Amino acid sequence: MIQFRNVSKTYSNGTVALRNVNLDVDKGEFVFIVGSSGAGKSTFLKLIMCEERPESGEIVVNGHKLSEVRKGDVPYLRRTMGIVFQDFRLIHTMNVYDNVAFAMHVVGASNRMIRKRVPYILGVVGLQDKMKCRPAELSGGEQQRVGLARALVNNPKMIIADEPTGNVDPELSFEIVDLLSEINRRGTTILMVTHEHNLVRHFNRRVIEIHDGSIVADTAAMQEEVMA
Amino acid sequence: MTPSSLKYLLKEGFKNVWCNRTMSLASVVVLISCLLLTGAAVVFSMNVNEAMASLEASNSLTVYLDENLNNLESIAVGNEIKKLDNIDPTQCVYVPKDDAIQKYTNILGEDGEILSGLTGENNPLPNAYRVTLIDLEKYDETVAQISALKGVYKINDVSDIADKLTSMDQIVKIVCICVVTFLGVVSLFIISNTIRVTMYSRRLEISIMKSVGATNGFIRIPFVVEGMIIGLISGALSSALLLLAYGPLAGAISGIMASFQAIPMVSFAWWIVLGFLGAGILVGMVGGLISMGKYLKKEGDSIDW
Repeated sequence: MIQFRNVSKTYSNGTVALRNVNLDVDKGEFVFIVGSSGAGKSTFLKLIMCEERPESGEIVVNGHKLSEVRKGDVPYLRRTMGIVFQDFRLIHTMNVYDNVAFAMHVVGASNRMIRKRVPYILGVVGLQDKMKCRPAELSGGEQQRVGLARALVNNPKMIIADEPTGNVDPELSFEIVDLLSEINRRGTTILMVTHEHNLVRHFNRRVIEIHDGSIVADTAAMQEEVMA
Repeated sequence: MTPSSLKYLLKEGFKNVWCNRTMSLASVVVLISCLLLTGAAVVFSMNVNEAMASLEASNSLTVYLDENLNNLESIAVGNEIKKLDNIDPTQCVYVPKDDAIQKYTNILGEDGEILSGLTGENNPLPNAYRVTLIDLEKYDETVAQISALKGVYKINDVSDIADKLTSMDQIVKIVCICVVTFLGVVSLFIISNTIRVTMYSRRLEISIMKSVGATNGFIRIPFVVEGMIIGLISGALSSALLLLAYGPLAGAISGIMASFQAIPMVSFAWWIVLGFLGAGILVGMVGGLISMGKYLKKEGDSIDW
């Protein structure tokens, strides 16, 4: 699903964000990406989303070599991903239903499809009763579930969650990751950046640790070594 | 693009105009000024051209006689004029000054009373002959011949009026081109800034749109629609204003210049409406497009500006 081969990225101000990164994420995996602030986690996600281009190396996402993806095709690549943000990024002038429907309008879905799909997805994240509520009327956990519904509504192959529990109460964090796990069980690949070690320990999934632009630990690679 | 997408984008365009109504209003006002000035210059030019064509086609002259001539001398001058080769003797009509003042009094209608004291000895107008030329090619030559006759005070030489009209038309055109160019740039600047403000206020939506896979074309459409709506409103209002003002203005000018015949509004009204709407939409669209270029290149967090 995702392949990084000798990927390095240096920003124009000289900051080295990633150094010679190699990794594979298979379809249907749930991966936690951990590391301190400035370690390169966000750059790693931005490279997958094509918001940034690598300085060297090759990235393959969903079978597409990103170096060969033209600028005009980037939106179509992004439609195969759902993005969940730490700050939810909900539009406060829209209600829950419209916030989710908005993502479907953007990809040109018909009104009939939107009317059918949005209530279904809001049901999946447990917000079917809050469709008419504005984001300000919801708790942090509920707002993040709206964000998750929006990421899911176009049926992406992969969810990229950038610290989705960073702005919610600790007990609600487990609820959010439970939901992501449920989505993962249905076949969607999940990449989740987090700082919360208790979550990582509790859910016992693959963990990739990035430090100073390099992968310093990868539980999948460790398991392979043990097996070997 | 599906019909529902198009409907959604158009709705968003209208929403942009309404949410940003103060700036939209400013854009409309500036664009109306620009279109009105352009339209006024065009209509003025059309009327001048029409007046010149009518002057050039006219083969009659008014020959004013010296104030001191008595009736016999006046008749003698008339006979001299009739003898000229290029004058149709049957169309050489004597116009006494009393008839002339009466004609002006009639033209002024109710306001003609102001001329009531200018009769008899107080009449400042000279006696005149209204003459018709046979061949317009010999216009200058004939005017020179009449001017040389003793007892002729002045000839209303239309070529002089035509020259004045031409130079006035040119001045109006130059002034209008300068003002319209300036206002055009100001309109583009204001419209593009109006749309930039809308984009700024909707930056969160734009960043979400990009993250879920919206193409630049899709993001651009509501803002271009916003510019087009501003242009359309400006075009409609300015054409209505110009057409409403044209009748009274033309009437007022006719009141001052009796010989002025304004072009009937019906002959150009549709062109004004279509031209204004087209120009308004075009300026609005270009304003929308130029304001977006650099913002569409931004990605992710940088969209937060």
